[in-house]
Parts: sequence; structure tokens; C-alpha cells
Amino acid sequence: MREIQLSLNKTQKIRLQRALEKLESLSSKVNANASVTIADSIPVSYEDGVLKGHGTLDLNGEVVATVCGVVERVNKLVYVRTLRARYKPEVGDIVVGRVSEVAPKRWRLDINYSQNAVLMLSSMNLPDGIQRRRTALDELNMRSIFEEDDVICAEVRGLQHDGLHLQARSQKYGKLERGQLLTVPPYLVKRRKQHFHHLEQYGVDLILGCNGFIWVGEHVEAKDDMVEDQVNKPKSQNIKSNSNSGTLEEQERTYTPIGTRQNICRIANAVRVSATLGFNITAEVIMETVDLSSSLKLDIHEMLGSEFCVLVAEGEAERRSINKKG
Amino acid sequence: MPLDNSSYSLALLRLDGRRWNELRRLSAQISTQAAADGSSYLEMGNTKIICTVDGPAEGRRGGAGGSEAQSGEAQVEVNINIAGFSGVERKKRTRGDKRTTEMQLVIKEAFASNLFTRLYPHSTIYISLHVLNQDGSLLAACLNATTLALIDAGIPMSDYIVACTAGSTSSYSANDENADPLLDLNGLEEQELPFLTVGTVGATEEVCVLAMETRVQIQRLEGMLAVGIDGCKQVKRILDGVVRAHGKEVLKKTL
Repeated sequence: MREIQLSLNKTQKIRLQRALEKLESLSSKVNANASVTIADSIPVSYEDGVLKGHGTLDLNGEVVATVCGVVERVNKLVYVRTLRARYKPEVGDIVVGRVSEVAPKRWRLDINYSQNAVLMLSSMNLPDGIQRRRTALDELNMRSIFEEDDVICAEVRGLQHDGLHLQARSQKYGKLERGQLLTVPPYLVKRRKQHFHHLEQYGVDLILGCNGFIWVGEHVEAKDDMVEDQVNKPKSQNIKSNSNSGTLEEQERTYTPIGTRQNICRIANAVRVSATLGFNITAEVIMETVDLSSSLKLDIHEMLGSEFCVLVAEGEAERRSINKKG
Repeated sequence: MPLDNSSYSLALLRLDGRRWNELRRLSAQISTQAAADGSSYLEMGNTKIICTVDGPAEGRRGGAGGSEAQSGEAQVEVNINIAGFSGVERKKRTRGDKRTTEMQLVIKEAFASNLFTRLYPHSTIYISLHVLNQDGSLLAACLNATTLALIDAGIPMSDYIVACTAGSTSSYSANDENADPLLDLNGLEEQELPFLTVGTVGATEEVCVLAMETRVQIQRLEGMLAVGIDGCKQVKRILDGVVRAHGKEVLKKTL
């Protein structure tokens, strides 16, 4: 995501340069040595036997890279991790996606993979929270759960014969509303234990999708408010049409206070700055950026300026050097 | 050389002051656009090209070759857009322009066989090229820019595809015995002289693209081809440098 074009003046340029140089000296030397480009041969010892993984090719008895990236070795497996590519799903990844199509018994989602992902109606919890067989009526009411262009959070279930399948069998998954979706290069988001972050002091949820889709939105309690809905209103009522009809009560429920909206924008801009600089995106890095911006009393829009960008780069260099020592 | 018959034969310098085996200045950048999966900007002399790669992504519905898109390997789609202001005269090119269509096809065929499309079933790789300025070697520049953008998109391929043009110092009709081959023709030379575009797979001598639209005497062809292949090796070296510099830049920021 480079939509912010930095226009730096001379001092800023030099400061950024210096910060990046510092980062370079801190980054593990292994990386620098193992970087290859296409058609570079990768040194391997054949006595041990070798397993050629992604991004490699056997050419006249030599192992050759087919993508530009970093050579990784795990026991006998040799593969090349690309610098930048589309998302490659792994089972259990938490992803954020956008519904591109409602098809029979399934939704198709755009998750920045080479194919659309499939979320079956049967692999998600129904809004009424009851475990049962999906009927034809459920299938007809699919649009009341997710519509085209809705943003959804789900988990990668695995690769089946007809494509990549997702599942959303918990209350924390599902439709995301009242927030911003950001797209960053997937290599910036590393797989971790925790991808859902509730930033309590801001009342904001931050979801770092492994596919580089990042959700910043108002915090919602993961509770079964759908069940209440179902009790209050007869089953024929369509949830979607409810929210659109805009009763006063409904509006109050979906209203986001301006403070929260500003917090969402601030955090979203922190993500943008990190992505522009090409830093890995973790909740800690983002929170530090947010804190830096508020301690400088910067307006939200000023966060995208070049001065703040340079400050973040310097801060990151500082942080990594402390981590290194500690 | 009809343009300046005398000066070339005297000093062996071309119109722009190059010798017969010299390339024009070749510079390139990678990752220039945010929204695309891969992008590049390439200048070969005054020929300037932006390339963006989108995908591999789910094929667009209702597009051409709906049944093809369901096959076991990725489709490659190329779209070339030549800006109206890019040439000497302002010219409006229609969509179905034969020359553009042919270039699209040549690029598509070249990359479809070089990329590992089998890794991406049911998907399409969209390559779009924007020509901002043209001054000769258009097809060669397009091929080079596409290679860089595909590398940026992280799509595996067996080797770089690099291309350049080669010509001959005298036209077909001039029955010149000692015609020299020339490397990397600019726009003016292209109008006057016979030339061919040659693309190779990496720095090897494996030719994957060979296009020629002018007439040349058969005995000159071999010399032109040899010079062209040699030029491709030089181009490969330059592109390699660009990719490595970019890779270093990215790596130092991520842990």
C-alpha cells in the first residue's frame, strides 16, 4: 500500500535514510545473505538429500530459484519465501474478506488469494445460534446473513477439491460493521497467536487478517444478541431490512460516537504509515504509532504527512535496537 | 545508413552518438504502484512504459474464454494501452489495432510458456502495459517491463525474459556488402532500417521471442541475431541489478 506519496525535504530524507540504515544494520545478516532472485542457484548438499519446496526448480541437477525472495531451510526442505506476493493460505489462518458473490449454499469471498474463497452455509453458525441441518429456507435467507460487499472475518479451513474453504464457527467471526478495511501487502502481517485485538482505551477492535486485510472498527461484544433478536421479532423478519428501515431504536444501537470514529481513523492511519514504510504490522507497533501521534498532539490527517513518517521510522529503529540489546 | 550516409561510414557513430554495439540508457523501478500486485516502470532510452500485474486472481465472469478459465492452469491476459501523446504525431489508436493486438499476443505467448501457470488453477494473471513515450524498441521494452512487474508480483517463472532489438546499417534495397549489425535501435533508425526484436530466456541463448516486420537480406540475419542475443545478456544484467537492489531495500525493513 503506497498510496501515500512521500514528499520529503532534504533533512527529512537524510533522517529517513539514517533510520533505515540503522534498521539494516540491525536486521539479521542471515536474511541478506540468503536473498536470491530468479534463476540463482541455491547451494545445497546432495549427500543429505534435499526436498525442493515452493519457489525452487531442478535445472540440470542444480536447485534454482524461480521467485525473488529469501531462501528458507527447514531440515531437508529448501524453499524460497517471496518478497511480495498474493496471500498464500494456511490452515487456521484468520482472514478478513469481502463477499464477492452469493452462490447456492455458499458465499464466495475475495481474500486476496488467487481464487475466491468459499464459505459454506453449513460451516458457519446460524444467527439463531441453534445447531441444526440447514434447510432450503436458510438457503433462501442467506442474504440476510451476508450480502455482496459485506466484510467478513473467518478462519481458513483447508483446501478442498473445489477451492479454498473457510469456516466461521464462533461468535468472534462473522460480519464486520462500523469501521474501516485496510489492505496492506500480506507479507507485512505475520501469523501469531493473537489476531483479534481489543484496544480497550479506544473502544476499538483491530483484526489483523493474515491475508493483509486489516479491520479497524468499533468494539462489539461477542455475545448472542442475535438470539434476542430472534425472540423479539418473528422469524419472517429479515435482519437486513430491519437495519435499513432505521427505527430510532435501531439507529441508537448502531450509532458510533464521534470519539470512537476519530480513534478508528487514527489507528487506521497508523496502519497506513507502517505499511508505507514497509514495517511489519503488529498490534504493538500500531499502538506505539498511535501513542506517538497523540503525544505529539497531531491531527489525524497530519499522521499521513512526511514528518510523522520519518518520526515513526526513527522510533522503529530505536525500538528494534532496544529489543536487540534486551 | 540512409539517414546520414556519410557520417556513419566515417566515424562509425550512429545518430545519437552510440557505437554499433551499445545499448541506450536502460533504467527501471519496481513496485511503483500501490494497488497492483506487481508493477514496474521502465525506460529504454526515450521509450517509457508502466506495467502493472494483477493476480493471479479469480477470472472475471463473462470474460472471453469462459471455459478456458476453468482449466487447470492460470490464463495470462495482456492489455497494451498506447497513449495518444506517446508518439511524434498525436494519434488515436483504436482498440482493435492490429499491431497492438499482435504485440499483446506475442507477450502473452512468451510469458504463458515461461511462468509456472500450473500452480494457479482457475485463475488469471492480468498484465496491463501503458506506453507513455515511444522511441523504438517498443515490444522489447514491453517484455522487459512485464518481466519486472511479474517478479514484483511474486509469480514463479523459470527465468527472466529479456528482449532488445537489433538492426542492420543498410536498407534492403541498398545492396551494401559490408553492412554492420546494430544494437537497440531508436525510433528514427527503426523507421529507416531493417530490424528485429529478439527475446531470450535469461542470459542463455534460448530465444523465446523473435519478431521482424521489415525485409532484410538473409545473410545479414545471422549477424543481427547474434548482436541481439548479446544485447539481451546486457539487458539481463541491468534488470538483475534492479531486482537485487529492490530486494535489499525491502528486506532491510522487515525483520
